[in-house]
Amino acid sequence: MTQQSSDADLLRAVAAEDMEALRLLHQRHAPWLRLRLTRRCADPDVVDAAIQDTFVSVWRDARGYRETRAEAAAWIWTIAIRRLVSTLRGPGHRWVGGIPEQDTETVPSAEDLVLLRVEHGDLGEALDRLSPELRAIIQATAIDGLTVKEAARCLGVAEGTAKTRLMRARARLRELLA
Amino acid sequence: MTSKEAATAWHVDAELLDAYAEGKLTPSRVMAVDAHLQACAQCRAAVPSDPAWLDHSWSLVADAVQAPRPTPAERVLRSVGIPEHRVRLLAATPALRWSWVLATVAVLSFGVVAASTGQAGARITMLLFLVFAPVLPVLAVATAYGPPADPMHELTATTPMAGPSLVLWRATAVVGVSMVMGAGAAFLLPGPGYWAVAWLLPAFLLCVSTLALATALPLPAAAGVFGGLWLVVVGGVAMSGSAVQPLFFGPSAQAGYLVAAAVAVAVLTARRRRLDPGETR
Repeated sequence: MTQQSSDADLLRAVAAEDMEALRLLHQRHAPWLRLRLTRRCADPDVVDAAIQDTFVSVWRDARGYRETRAEAAAWIWTIAIRRLVSTLRGPGHRWVGGIPEQDTETVPSAEDLVLLRVEHGDLGEALDRLSPELRAIIQATAIDGLTVKEAARCLGVAEGTAKTRLMRARARLRELLA
Repeated sequence: MTSKEAATAWHVDAELLDAYAEGKLTPSRVMAVDAHLQACAQCRAAVPSDPAWLDHSWSLVADAVQAPRPTPAERVLRSVGIPEHRVRLLAATPALRWSWVLATVAVLSFGVVAASTGQAGARITMLLFLVFAPVLPVLAVATAYGPPADPMHELTATTPMAGPSLVLWRATAVVGVSMVMGAGAAFLLPGPGYWAVAWLLPAFLLCVSTLALATALPLPAAAGVFGGLWLVVVGGVAMSGSAVQPLFFGPSAQAGYLVAAAVAVAVLTARRRRLDPGETR
């Protein structure tokens, strides 16, 4: 295993209990996970703990990773955001912003594609014009890859409310883009 | 178009990354950076990393991954609310097996000798044994964890836990097990083997209740209170001249010991947070 090995190769090695592979994955992914998680939670201790938990989970669950189903980075991110959400369920912590979740009923890859181009299109403007609660649900589902249930939990609303908001957010986006 | 091709359309430059980190971007641009980072290995690699932070984080991950899984005994101890480092100490006691075996043998022999002397011997011997009953098993345990049998004793002596409280915790682990073993043997053997176990009760009680009181007082004071109390009671009995054996080991006394031990264990559990070394009492 070297610096050049692909994430998927490293994950396979981790599944075979190769510590060096885990170290390389940590070295490669911990910095950007830290940056991105810090946008969700202002408490650096919580973020650090979530990152450590994430790589411990990667070590235990690497066997469950399927290359065909998700990119390694996305898979690791999903673990990280879930660890953060579960750490934050205790009191005394503060979200910087809402977390987007991924609805199992949505087609996230399509939305991701659209979002990759927000920089250039009207979509960026449309997203900025969404009310914060609708934007938060889009972010939690489409970008952070949480399920509607998890999004509801981390936004502190009922699951039904989260579903309704997601529907309203999509309708509003279509309206703004029309 | 795949997400990889889309990702190459533009990249997150250092300026954008800084603005992102500082929270200066509009919501949609934050989302764009989020989505892009997840799809683009090149930009992920461009995120600056702090080597000291990375090393620290990795050392914690490596520790967690390599930590031995808790044994069933440790899980039981933890589930009743004993703090982590005490769990380790109690569970490690059998691991120091020569010390533990020695201590157990010494404690059980004390019980047997005391019981047989008490059956047949003079009243004065009986009283002498009573005076030392709570202390002798603890001494035996402390000795067994000394130089010949415990290879770790030098290391242990330098830790903040060393001293009276360590001795008492170990004594609790050894005497408690000895009592259970003794009670089992007494139950299976013919004759009054029961007395041997009864002799260990005061020692067990002293250990547990001293640790419990030590959550409120300094440990030496706590030990002094219970040791003094015990001597006063034994002295009182010696003066009054009443029968020793039924008084200390009769059914009502036994029940009393058990209740007191249960109370002490409950206090220990409820106030376990106060047990941490270095905390103000």
